[in-house]
Amino acid sequence: MSILINDSTRVIVQGITGRIGSLQTHWMLAYGTKVVAGVTPGKGGTMVEGVPVFSSVEEAVSKTGANASVFFIPAAFVLNAFLETVDAGVKLIVMIPEHIPVHDVMKMRAYAIEKEVYALGPTTPGILVPGKGKMGIMPASLFAPGRVGIISRSGTLSYEFAGILSECGVGQSTVVGMGADPVVLTNLVDILRLFEEDRDTDGVIIVGEVGGDQEEKAARVIQEKMTKPVAAYLAGRRSPEGKRMGHAGAIVRGSAGTVAGKEEALRSAGVEVLESPIHVALWAEKHHLR
Amino acid sequence: MRLHEFEAMDIFETMGIPVPRRGVAETAEEALRVSEKIGYPVVAKAQVLVGSRGLAGGIKIASNPEELGEIGRTLLGSAINGLPVRKILVVEKADIAQELYAGITVDGYSGKPVIVASTEGGIHIEKTAQSGPEKIATIQIDPFQPLDPHQAIALLQKFELNQNLLVAWADVIAKLYRTFIRYEALIAEINPLVLLPNHDLLAVDAVLELDNSALSRSKHPLPDRLERIENPLERKGREIGVTYVDLGGDIGLISSGAGLGMASIDMIGEKMKPANFLETGGGITEQLLYKCMDLIMMKGNLRGILINIYGGINPIHEGAKGVVRYIKEHHVKIPIVAKALGNHQEETWEIFRSAGVHVVTEAATEKAVERLFDLVGKA
Repeated sequence: MSILINDSTRVIVQGITGRIGSLQTHWMLAYGTKVVAGVTPGKGGTMVEGVPVFSSVEEAVSKTGANASVFFIPAAFVLNAFLETVDAGVKLIVMIPEHIPVHDVMKMRAYAIEKEVYALGPTTPGILVPGKGKMGIMPASLFAPGRVGIISRSGTLSYEFAGILSECGVGQSTVVGMGADPVVLTNLVDILRLFEEDRDTDGVIIVGEVGGDQEEKAARVIQEKMTKPVAAYLAGRRSPEGKRMGHAGAIVRGSAGTVAGKEEALRSAGVEVLESPIHVALWAEKHHLR
Repeated sequence: MRLHEFEAMDIFETMGIPVPRRGVAETAEEALRVSEKIGYPVVAKAQVLVGSRGLAGGIKIASNPEELGEIGRTLLGSAINGLPVRKILVVEKADIAQELYAGITVDGYSGKPVIVASTEGGIHIEKTAQSGPEKIATIQIDPFQPLDPHQAIALLQKFELNQNLLVAWADVIAKLYRTFIRYEALIAEINPLVLLPNHDLLAVDAVLELDNSALSRSKHPLPDRLERIENPLERKGREIGVTYVDLGGDIGLISSGAGLGMASIDMIGEKMKPANFLETGGGITEQLLYKCMDLIMMKGNLRGILINIYGGINPIHEGAKGVVRYIKEHHVKIPIVAKALGNHQEETWEIFRSAGVHVVTEAATEKAVERLFDLVGKA
């Protein structure tokens, strides 16, 4: 039906008592997400938006059967909270905050791999299955149920692509924000594999941007393993060399990380490269995607 | 934040890495005083944060005070790749038997620190990486573990070095790795790491780029990050908490996300000239968008503005109020097109329209850019 989240996903909101945490809990519940617990150290026993708050993740898991968690906590506290969450047995973690130190992210990624946990972000809008539920901050009105998967490094561009597709009647199976930092917790190729295996996804859109080599690495896997049609859009062809374009990972260094290099790698792997986001509608029509 | 060479070299020295005798000078006279202590010949190196500084004329050798005075007067106050030279580093000139390379970076794909060593350092290291893989050795390190000295030795084994060099080079790598961890660097690099005729090693260059997200928790004294942003508008952006990049054209942009901002710039650039990239991240308030308007309007030549924002984590209706207040207070007459979708979108559209902002309600930014192009053409 979707990747990573489904009907049995039971969500903990970490940082639920904060301004953003409580507001986003409201929106997630309104979208039908099973938010079963909140965690804020020292605030156990209270309620937010009708959701019970616990002081530790372990307690939240044992009392509510939660199996996924979304983070709205300050960057400085994320590493310890992440390790605690993995140790409590949670198998899906969505890391919304930006500005988490890269050395912390390297540790989290290594720990997630060791403990076989899927984690998205940092600097991700989260994940959304249209009409079913969402973990994160994606504005629900732009999404519609359907059979196209979207993976995006940028939050706002994932909304843009979903919005364009929804307007022309093409729905989405799952929309995944993979995060925009130099190191992310789950790489593009691993999310692509999930979409390839998902029976309810017929085609996948990669929304990338300048910096790093996620798209180049994914190109190889697409050529060898992907049978479903894949389209890609890369933002930042006019980004000056050496400038960080808002995202910590969005930087061209010399000839590395350019849109041109990424487009070439993807194109030679058989991916349809979109010159501009609006062209995604034609791509969907060509492949009869709904 | 990329440190200047002289700052990085000071840090390397405290970490026990062998570095040359040196001094920083802001005038030719200061340069001469530094070289009196070092002795000639010396190398004068412009302290500017650009790549290929040597190829751009920023590194000069002086054999006597006359030459150094001349170099100092020429370099200081000049610009290299557009950046002003305010300081030069005067260093002893090393006798070079061989130029090696040692660098540590964050490998984005594996998510691990990666150490790179090469027997062919110098300005062509990137070419060596492609053409001579046998001259490059790399190893990934477990981010939870300190570097085991044996890992550094094992890394260098493939070069078949003599025992002394093997041990000395591995020692430099171990110290560079400790620097990388202690300072939470994204890049720590010595290129070249010079092998002297007496078989000692000397780091004649020093690169240290720190993680901006980790600066606030650093226990070590660091230079001020704002001060080194040369462009005043980019510095102002950092002060108010947004990312601003000056692009030189005349169409302003405010976007609520980095990806959306980059895509908007790409689209504006098809038919018009973007003045700036600006992205707010998730911190939009009434105040912030008022300040963003103020910031982009500082370029006095704007012919039009695109506001491209999503209400996911951002209260865009609050942001719209700030834009409208700015327009009214400053009697802004140039065309402004806003695309604002997501939570509170209808309310946001109404607020924008109350100040004559042209609202585009379709999802595709291309439509908003087209609209702006029409309006700018007519204005």
